[in-house]
Amino acid sequence: MGSRQRLYGTAIFSLGMAALGVAVSNPYEQQLLTIIGIHTLLALGLNMLMGYAGQISLGHAAFFGLGAYGTGILTTHFQWSPWASLPAVLVFAALSGYLIGRPILRLSGYYLAMGTLGLGIIVHVLFREWDTFTGGASGLVGIPPLSVGRLIVGLGRSGFFAVWATVVLFFVLCGRVVDSRIGRALRALGDSQGAAAASGIHTAHLKAAIFSFSAVMAALAGYLYAHLLGFISPSSFDFLMSIRMVTMVVIGGMASIWGSLLGASVITLLPEWLHVFSDYEMMVYGLILMGVMIFLPQGLTRGVLDALQRARARTASS
Amino acid sequence: MSGLNPFLTIDGVSKAFGGIQALYQVSFAVQARHIHALIGPNGAGKTTLFNVISGAFAPDEGSIRLDGKDIQGRPMHELVRRGIARTFQNVELFGSMSVLENVLVGCHTRTRCGLIGAMVRWPWVSREERWARERAMELLNMVGLADSAMKRAVDLPFGWQRLVEIARALAGDPKLLLLDEPAAGLNAVETERLSRLIQEIQALGVTVLLVEHDMNLTMDISDRIVVLDRGRKLAEGTPREIQSSDAVMEAYLGKKH
Repeated sequence: MGSRQRLYGTAIFSLGMAALGVAVSNPYEQQLLTIIGIHTLLALGLNMLMGYAGQISLGHAAFFGLGAYGTGILTTHFQWSPWASLPAVLVFAALSGYLIGRPILRLSGYYLAMGTLGLGIIVHVLFREWDTFTGGASGLVGIPPLSVGRLIVGLGRSGFFAVWATVVLFFVLCGRVVDSRIGRALRALGDSQGAAAASGIHTAHLKAAIFSFSAVMAALAGYLYAHLLGFISPSSFDFLMSIRMVTMVVIGGMASIWGSLLGASVITLLPEWLHVFSDYEMMVYGLILMGVMIFLPQGLTRGVLDALQRARARTASS
Repeated sequence: MSGLNPFLTIDGVSKAFGGIQALYQVSFAVQARHIHALIGPNGAGKTTLFNVISGAFAPDEGSIRLDGKDIQGRPMHELVRRGIARTFQNVELFGSMSVLENVLVGCHTRTRCGLIGAMVRWPWVSREERWARERAMELLNMVGLADSAMKRAVDLPFGWQRLVEIARALAGDPKLLLLDEPAAGLNAVETERLSRLIQEIQALGVTVLLVEHDMNLTMDISDRIVVLDRGRKLAEGTPREIQSSDAVMEAYLGKKH
């Protein structure tokens, strides 16, 4: 995609979201949209790692939780201001992402999946058991909200705008990365690691760097989540959350920025829509995911684009 | 041969995989700006030697010197920076990318924008990107593929894919270019063009080490030839000397009766 196209796309999208933010006044819908925004950040970060660089992580909820618990602990136990804990949490996520990424990304394929799975489990256990700081299984309460002057950012309209402004910012940043020398190196890595190394790409460093980048995005999502909800518990950062993140990327479309938005929206909204099936909810959910993967193996974005292209070709030929 | 500055020196290099001795005590030197060919029957160890030189794996013993400095066992990405580029026997292009993007990846070592630079997009980043695009287009012109720059690389005919790979290798401004069977799968016309291209590359000041089965091409353009057989150096000399060597004929065709 050209840079200009991306710019227009992002501009139109921001206007649309701004309009939506003004129009929606139902608190439940505002919260749902805010959660979609947080999930979009998670999916986008993971997509940079999975979709572009071709490296899977089944433990990314660890970094989501790291952001949430990091700021939660600093602001409650140590009375830091949320604004002071933001850089601390992001720098910590960047460093730990790189230091963990360097050895773990020596693995590939199934082994990498196992390794990152282990990482997710270890960190989850830490959240649950280290109760002096994390509050254990019952969670951490009393995390202060973000505030700017007298404006307090809560789960309503202000939270919506804070989260979606962050999403737009990262659409721009990730778009720039994808269109750059680094973006090409990432895709090269995903296509053929041998040829990437033979082109002078330091593959071990690059993999760890993008792992670190996606860890920072997940931690930022966790930071926002913690300050918006004011309460966190380990179950939000467990293995299932990691799997949901991977599902968002795969369903939305690998190596697609807009696909991350689509995947996050579908995976967040689907359970809401499927409440009508009550007991059979999860079965229908599973069936839909299977259906998408069987009929649109490249994810929704690619699938829909291809269908449009076919339709256009048909009208052109008839 | 007793060398005015050998550019690449292979000195007693051995490499075994399990019980198989892929290379045994191979030594030879490549003069700067020469086209040096490596020939031998299948399984002679040619590709293994390429992999050792390019840093895919370290030799078990022996040393490799580039421009007088030991480089054996150094990682591949570092060797690319030091000026060694290679192509692959089975063409390894980046499948998700256009021809131009493939060559741009080749510019990786000559550009320096990182993650932060890409996000902030400093003015120098845009300048560097423009420079890289111009450079990539120049190289595509040189190999005759400028018109296909925006096509997906893997959709090109096989012979053209080889040229994309050569352009990508040249994009890093190598001093030594390793070509692994560049003529395999090419027709006569394409091979003729390839032969001119390799000579053009030599004229740019690049030293070329070539593995090739096409004897016409090899004899035609090489300054010197090394013959490998079952991991050992069997002979070395000018194309004329190699053609008249009995040992080489035996290795290829079997003993005379």
